[in-house]
This record gives sequence, C-alpha cells and structure tokens, in this order.
Amino acid sequence: MTITQATSQVTAAKLSLSGLTKQYAAADEPAVNRLDMDVEEGHLVALLGPSGCGKTTTLQMVAGLLDPTAGSISVDGNDITHTPVHQRGMGMVFQSYALFPHMNVAQNVGFGLEMRKVAKPEQKARVAAALEMVQLGHLATRRVKALSGGQQQRIALARALVVEPTLLLLDEPLSNLDAKLRVSMRTEIRSIQQRLKATTLFVTHDQDEALDMSDRIAVMNKGLIEQFGSPAEVYERPRTSFVATFVGRANLFETIVGEDVGSAGGDERLYRVGVKGQDGFGAVGRPGLTGSTRTLLVRPHRLRVELAPDEPLPGAGRLAGVIRELGYTGNALSFGVEIGGTIVRAEMHASGAPIPRKGETAHLSWQPDDALILPEEVR
Amino acid sequence: MTKPRPDELAAGGADRDKRRRNLDRRTYWGLLLPGLLGLLVGYVLPLLWILRMAFNKGGPDGLVISAFSGDSLRKPLTDSYYLKVTVTTFRMGLLVAVLCVLASYPIALFLARSTSKWKGLLTALAIAPLLTSSVARSYGWIVILGSNGLVNSSLLGLGVISTPLKLTNNMTGVVIGLVEIFMPYAILVMISGFGQLNPQLEQAAASLGANAVKVFTRITLRLSMPGVLTAFLLVFVLSISTFVTPRLLGGGSVRVLATEIYDQANVLINWPLAAALSVIVFALFGIVISGYQRLIRKVEGIDR
Repeated sequence: MTITQATSQVTAAKLSLSGLTKQYAAADEPAVNRLDMDVEEGHLVALLGPSGCGKTTTLQMVAGLLDPTAGSISVDGNDITHTPVHQRGMGMVFQSYALFPHMNVAQNVGFGLEMRKVAKPEQKARVAAALEMVQLGHLATRRVKALSGGQQQRIALARALVVEPTLLLLDEPLSNLDAKLRVSMRTEIRSIQQRLKATTLFVTHDQDEALDMSDRIAVMNKGLIEQFGSPAEVYERPRTSFVATFVGRANLFETIVGEDVGSAGGDERLYRVGVKGQDGFGAVGRPGLTGSTRTLLVRPHRLRVELAPDEPLPGAGRLAGVIRELGYTGNALSFGVEIGGTIVRAEMHASGAPIPRKGETAHLSWQPDDALILPEEVR
Repeated sequence: MTKPRPDELAAGGADRDKRRRNLDRRTYWGLLLPGLLGLLVGYVLPLLWILRMAFNKGGPDGLVISAFSGDSLRKPLTDSYYLKVTVTTFRMGLLVAVLCVLASYPIALFLARSTSKWKGLLTALAIAPLLTSSVARSYGWIVILGSNGLVNSSLLGLGVISTPLKLTNNMTGVVIGLVEIFMPYAILVMISGFGQLNPQLEQAAASLGANAVKVFTRITLRLSMPGVLTAFLLVFVLSISTFVTPRLLGGGSVRVLATEIYDQANVLINWPLAAALSVIVFALFGIVISGYQRLIRKVEGIDR
C-alpha cells in the first residue's frame, strides 16, 4: 500500500530531557523547573496540566522554539539542546494549526519537503500519500481557509508527518474542535501515531484526552512533573492530591492512618482509617504509614450510596449526610452530599429505582480497596 | 377560534419580512445621508468644477475664458515641458514610496511584533513626527542637508569629502525629506495591514525546515504584502500631491505637478491649466490605484 510505503520510514526516536529549566526574566519561579523525562521509542506521552504549568514551554523547548535556561534535550543520545529549530527535523502541530493561508492544501503539506529539497515527483507522491493517510486526498488544491476545523487539523497533522519527523509534537491539537469531533480525532491521531510508531509528545489540559491517547502521562504543576506513569497508574495510584484532583474527580479526606491489617496485594498494605470523626473505614496504601497524617482519596464512582441502609455492621464505617446536589443524565446519577460542612461527591449507575430528592439523607460507604492513602505527606 | 392556515402564516411572515427590510433600508439611507451630503458638497461638486474648469481657456491677466475646448488639457499632454514634469512627478512618487516602505517595514514589523510594555510608547514615538507640520520638518531637513548643514559639515570634518555634497535644492533633498515625512503614515498603515502575520506561522515554517531567510521570504514578507502595498499606495499618492516639501527642499529647481499647479493657480493665475494639471494628477492616481487593486487581489487571493 502506498500510504505505508511513503510514510513507514518514520524512525522511532528516543527523547530524553534532563534538568530542563526555563526561567523567564520577569518571573520569580521558573516556568519549567529541572525537568527529567524519558520518552521511549514509539510512545505517545502526554504533558498534562493546568494552564501555566509549563507544559507548552516544555514542548517549545523540545521543538527548539524556546531556548532552555539550563538542562539538555537529546534525541537518540544526540544532544540537540542548541540545534536551531529548522535543523531538528521534528514535526509540530500547533494549537491554531498554523496552516499557511497563502498556500493551498498540497502546498502546505509539501512545504517541509520543499525545504528539504526533495525532488518534485517524490514530493508529489509523498504529499498525496500523506493526504490519503488523513483521508483528504480530494482537497489537495483547496485553499486552507475554506476548510473546516477538523480538516485543517488533519492537514496540519499530514504536514507534520510527511517529512518523516524524528519526533511528533502536538500542542493542544484538539482544543479548537467541537466536542464530538474531538473524540473521533483522538482515535484517529492515536491510530496514525501507532501505525507509524512515531514518538510523540502531546500537550493537553484535557485529562480525558491524556487518559485515552497516551502510553505515559506526565502530570505537570508549577513547572514540575508531579507524576509520570501510565494512564492507569496516574488515575488509580496518584501520588499527590494535585494529581488525584486533576486527573479524574476526587473526594479527598484528611486522615490519621490507623492499624496495618495486612497485605492488599503487591507492595500495598491494608489500613484502618477514620474519616470525619468516624471509624471503621479501610483503605490501601504503601507500607509504613500507620500513625501518620495523610490524604485519603475516594473516587466518586467508588462510593456506595444508600438511602435506607440496613443496620450497620459493627465497625463498618458509614458517612451520613444530606443530599444538596443531584444530577441525572439518564444512565447515571451524581450526588453532592453534605457531610460535616463539606460536599462529598458520589456517582452511581441509574438502576431505574426512584430517583432520590434533594434534602434526603444519604449514607456513603466504600470497600477498603476503593480508597487510597496518598503517599504525599500532609504538611 | 380558527387556526390560521400555514400559507396565511407564511404570507404574513413574508409581509413582515418585507416591511422590516424596507424599514432597514430607510434606516441605512437615513444614516448615510449626512455623510453623502458632505461628500457631495465637499468633494464631488468641487471635482466636477475642476473638471469643467479644465475645459476653459486661460486668458491674459488671469482671465478665465469660458469655453469648451481641449486646449488646456492638451497642453500638459503634448508640451514637452509638462510631459517631463509629469514623468518627474511619477518617478518621484515611485522612488519616495519604495524608499519609504523599505525604511518603514522593519519598524512596522518590530512594532507589530513587540510584546513589550513599551510598545504603546514606541508606536506613539514612531508617529509623533505627525505632530509637526511638514513645513517645519522640511525646513529642518534644509538645516540638516544644506551645504553648511549637519551632514556636510560632519563629512567635511571627517575628511570623507572635500566639497559639500549637494543635498538641497534638488530632487535628492526632496526625496529624503518626503521619505521621512511620510514614514509615520507608512508605519501606521503597515502595522494595521500585518493582520495575517501570526508568529506561529513562522514557527511552523521553521519547524518544517525553513531557515531564517526562507521563513522571511516565504512567510513573513508574503503575508505582509497587503500592508506593504497599501502603504506604498498611500505614500505614492501623498508624495505626488504634496506641494510644500518639493517647493522648500527643491528650492524652485524641482518641478513636479503639485508645484506647477500652485504656480499656475497662484502665480501665473491660469486656472484652466491648473485644473488640467490637477486632472493629470487624478489620472496618475487612477493608474496606480488600479494597479494596486490588481496586485492586492492577487496577494489576498488568500481568502478566495
């Protein structure tokens, strides 16, 4: 097939960032602070974080659009920290797509090949193959301004990939698309990336995108990587309360960790914990936490909500509170239950049973392995 | 109660639409009227009057002989002196416009790009010369460029030249003066014409392997062409119609249409000829503007 022939030479490269720092003269804190990260060959890594966390700054330093204040960037062991951007051979997709308005679709896609002085017939074949890859072969002679957001985004992707980049850099490529298109483009970008085995760095503030598309997620906050791990690790075993709340929804409780009651599988232990003055709850955590003050994480969908519970078993914890917020989306119910002055969120599948009303009392409980004691110390 | 039939509803709707459209149209015309009246009285009528005047004949002692002849108009087109003046004017306009755009482009690009907190102040500084009249600025240039002026005395003092360069009372002085005087306009027009220039486009080009020169020629310059062309047109139009600077810095030896019109209108009092020369200037505008239209359509083919 011509598509794979023309684009299969993308050679997966390994990217290493070491001590990467960007300090703006006007700012007190570095925008990016001694970042260390390795991106494996063919992996898609998401830089996930709120605006101002340094994710875009990091991407721009990798692209060569910004000079790092300190640290180094290397690709396959070659230091490229001071290589000018036009010699880095990376493919970048910008948030605004940055398509050249004075060129048509084919000219846009062919620009990188033209700069590399690729022979005309080969240029033509590779542009055609790249457009075919994003299913826009029929638009080759169109002006780019006449295209929809989704089409522009594909052209931008084709333009970045046609030069067979060592590294693909995506700067919030989906944020300008409407919700439906965003989800389908996610799948499309991911499948192209996996087919080409292109090592990819992807900046996003959308946790769903990061969870859905990545091999690894680097959760960034204030210029630092708070956690680097697989989507499941980041979601199920967040190391800090920032990661817990930024990736997925979370209920956090402060707790003094009680007795270690045994293994919870792997390296983890099962502890007794008290929450909001009530004992009898269980949670998992790493060894040696007994007696320390920690943050307890319970995801809303891991909470069990009961309106008229049976008599509690002795020692089995249960939090009672008044339903203050109620959301119904057909398949799911979401609750905001006021317990001790704070709102605890809970979600459950709608079973067809009568929907509770605001003001009713709800009882919340959880299984020990549905709660996690965060390793981060509470200061 | 009977329900209105759908076709009745539709008819009522169409009627309402029509009434609204009429009302809209009346509002538009009402709003346009004062401006149109102003234009008619202040622009169209005088222009027609000048056109009519160009067909009159100039008599001795400033007498205007009412006629309908082509003599006055024919004169600037056939007389070798006036032909030369016309060509000189055209060339001066082109030269000033080219030099002015070249000198203003980097400044405009810098100001359009700058994210500095001083941007506002710098922009104000760039256009501040507009606060001084071009008469004062032309005299200023005479002081600088004269044979005992700053430029000549410096060069003489440094031993670069042995006799003063002739920089005033000729076309050189006029061009230097006009370029500087029109730079603020060119800068302003270009800044507002650089709308399509998005730094991300240049970054994208660089990431695709374009070096600095290629980025500039293929992206920056290409996308700033609308602003450049508009600035060029404006400066050209201003320079071929300006009278003060060619008169002052040219010292009477630079003869362009504007100074010629002034002489014919105020010194020789031949109004029909002055009017005919004005019509020539108008025609030059027309030629350049139609060329501009064609070019701008090409460079802005971007949206089509």
